[in-house]
Amino acid sequence: MATESRNALVRDERTGYERLAAATVGLSGVLFAVALAALLEIVRITDPVAGIPMVAVLGGLVTLSGVAVIGFGLASRRGRIATVPQESAGIVAAVAFTGLWFCAGGLVASQTLGLSGPLWLVPAVAAGAVAFAGTALPREDIGSTAPAGAVAVLVGLSLLTGFIGSNWSWPLGGFNATLFADVVVPFLVMTSALVTGWAAAKTYGGYGARGRHVGAYVLIYLVVLAILGVLVGLIMFVVLKGAPGLFRGFGLLTDGALVRWPFLTNGAGLLADVKGIFPAIVGTVWLVVGAVLVAVPTGVGAAVFLAEYAEQGRFTQVVEVATNGLWSTPSIVFGLFGAAFLIPRFGNQKSIIAGQLTLGFMLLPLVLITSREALLAVPDEYRDASAALGVSKWQTIRSVVLPAAIPGVTTGVILGVGRIAGETAPILLTTGGGVLPAKGSAAAVLGSFQLSASPPFVSNPALLDASSALPYQLFALITAGLGGVPNPEQFAWGVALTLLLVVLSFYAIGIATRYYFRRKLHQ
Amino acid sequence: MTDKPTSVAGLQATVGRRVGRARRFVEETDPEGVAVVGLVLGSILLGFVGFLLTAGWTAVPLAVALLASTYGWFRQQGLLARALTFGMTTVTVVTLGLIVVFIFVESIPAFRYESLTVFGVSVPGLRMVTQTRWDAVTDPVRFSLLPMIHGTVLVTLIATAVAGPLGVAAALFISEIAPPTVRELVKPAVEILAGIPSIVYGFIGFTIVNPWAGDAFALNGGATYLFVGAMVGLMALPTVVSVAEDALTSVPDSMKNGSLALGATDWQSMTSITVPAAFSGVSAAVLLGVGRAIGETMAATVMLRNVPRIGEPLYNVFYGYETLTSVIASDYGSANGIHEHALFAAGVILFITVMVLSLGSQYIQVRMDRKLGGGN
Repeated sequence: MATESRNALVRDERTGYERLAAATVGLSGVLFAVALAALLEIVRITDPVAGIPMVAVLGGLVTLSGVAVIGFGLASRRGRIATVPQESAGIVAAVAFTGLWFCAGGLVASQTLGLSGPLWLVPAVAAGAVAFAGTALPREDIGSTAPAGAVAVLVGLSLLTGFIGSNWSWPLGGFNATLFADVVVPFLVMTSALVTGWAAAKTYGGYGARGRHVGAYVLIYLVVLAILGVLVGLIMFVVLKGAPGLFRGFGLLTDGALVRWPFLTNGAGLLADVKGIFPAIVGTVWLVVGAVLVAVPTGVGAAVFLAEYAEQGRFTQVVEVATNGLWSTPSIVFGLFGAAFLIPRFGNQKSIIAGQLTLGFMLLPLVLITSREALLAVPDEYRDASAALGVSKWQTIRSVVLPAAIPGVTTGVILGVGRIAGETAPILLTTGGGVLPAKGSAAAVLGSFQLSASPPFVSNPALLDASSALPYQLFALITAGLGGVPNPEQFAWGVALTLLLVVLSFYAIGIATRYYFRRKLHQ
Repeated sequence: MTDKPTSVAGLQATVGRRVGRARRFVEETDPEGVAVVGLVLGSILLGFVGFLLTAGWTAVPLAVALLASTYGWFRQQGLLARALTFGMTTVTVVTLGLIVVFIFVESIPAFRYESLTVFGVSVPGLRMVTQTRWDAVTDPVRFSLLPMIHGTVLVTLIATAVAGPLGVAAALFISEIAPPTVRELVKPAVEILAGIPSIVYGFIGFTIVNPWAGDAFALNGGATYLFVGAMVGLMALPTVVSVAEDALTSVPDSMKNGSLALGATDWQSMTSITVPAAFSGVSAAVLLGVGRAIGETMAATVMLRNVPRIGEPLYNVFYGYETLTSVIASDYGSANGIHEHALFAAGVILFITVMVLSLGSQYIQVRMDRKLGGGN
């Protein structure tokens, strides 16, 4: 009883073991970070640290963390430290450790013992079974530390003894691939760091409900950090790689012009001094404009009907299923549809208008879904107040409901546009033109409307021609083997950065609009 | 069999009710309004038919519709607005219908070409899955879809292994764990991750990941299903996160608070109340993520080798040949004849698979809404 009442809820100061457990979590975190850096080739596992090879240092630290974790479990089991473990570590942990040890057993069997054929299954199954029993049967403090620590000790010792040294390699028989230490060592270190970090975090929480809470939170925070890291890393990487291409020949107040930005204003013709992507930018602008003209009135109108007029029934159900179906239809299928349906109806060749309509069909469900949500979010009091004044239904929708829903609709449209502006597959089949178009081939849509006396009376040859677009330009450069311009890699990265900036600025504007209106709403 | 007469009677009753309602509507409404709306909708319909038939006179009814709606806008705005918005509502259904019809019609010659006679019955398309040869050039020309299906399955499995657990964990973080300020940071970040164009992912994969993988694993060429799957998983992640987060937030707070009031930790309430209650919604999220992964095109096209072949052994993820999406994107430009129709057949398989996943996840979501709504 005495130990029970002194649990973490009623104590203020940290005890020694909590400090030790926290230090172990920190050590695992550091190991994970170093291994990740090694995987990304920021540091190399052959670099010596204070005269000792990095592999050995990592091995020693991993062993240390494993021993520490096992020590925590034993100390808790023998009552040396105040914890509140449950009867068992639970089925989830047991299954996870079974999988881990199954892999470990299988790898040791086939790599170290060289067992061929299905023989590797025997040690693998045995290791998995032992791990399952070792996790599920004993009390939680042993069950969640011993299998974890053992993984770390196994990994650590094999690194420390040089069994997996920096020159280690293992040709996978029949897989046409070879595993090298450069990849395997960081991977093993990361796995064992995850496992020991989790076990040490559980110890820090004193096992039981609180320990599980801490352990799970450590893992979830790690996942979220990883996602954010990937996002920031991707964007930074494209920015760094693309900036030289994008800003090639860029100048302010030179040659009598206010801004000189040849990459954006030049084509890729023979005469251009700095090759640029002007036709692709024009193509993307027209595609987006056309798609918005098709999808926004239709989508908003449909949302008005569904939210204001229609009664819930068979018809609305069918529309909802069709909308969600359209939303999840793969973009390449939209491309096939555009090629089969639209191209024969617009002059039998790839054209801007076919791309516009195809992208419009893709944008439609996005606009419809977000607009309907925005309309449904308008409180019924607004409608009732307007109706009480004797205003007709349509007048109410026009002057009360729609204005109140505009923020949501705008946000949805902007985010949807950001999405379709980067789509490649549909325009590949419906619009895509040459690989490196010259400036003269940019679509001049505004200047080429023509009237005629015979049907269809109004025509626009520029809309009926193939055109480039930013995503298509990037794809065409890749498939053409990155050539055709001086320094093609730089050029392609410049295109990638331009595309990313266009799309992300739509997203930034959309998200900012949402915040702006939400804050206005809560004032 | 027994309920057939009743269903016919029911149908008659429904039709009767509808007709009656329509008649009442026409009687009660201003005749001018009925005429205008009839003219507008009729000429739009006619224009659509003309467009379907690729007729030159399509512009005429559309111009009539435009004129009539301009007139109606000043005289009968309310009625016209209702009719027009109804027309717009049918567009999604019509579009989906057109997609189905045109993709299927275009694929029929390929299915017919690859038909195989079993027990004297000719089964169209059967030879696409009984042998593994896809060769559009040398005789006999064969279009087996098995290599692409194999590639799609491998990529989707890996992508789901990446996007499923990470996505659900991130959704839990956003909806349950994160403090408000952090949530306002992480949520847009996940949205932006969805915004990065797939061709940019593909370009990074092509110029950075593929050479690295070829080097690090001593591969014969850098294309691997393993890293294409990881890339595609990253792209499917935002879908999983946002749908799963919706499901988790739709669990009523009263349920969570009840658990917390009993002294459970946050994590205990999550694992024993929130996640079980939202389980169907979370699985719908994973299903939608799988759908995204199956349909992902550009990253696969750019990163894979685009050779229709099945690697040995089947689970060898260090090969990277072709998927259903990449075969369409890479072959369409040069294909003609049966080859082109075979690409539409690949599109049909994709479309059906994704549609089944979409329907499944919608069914699950409807059931969950009903359950949580009933529990309130």
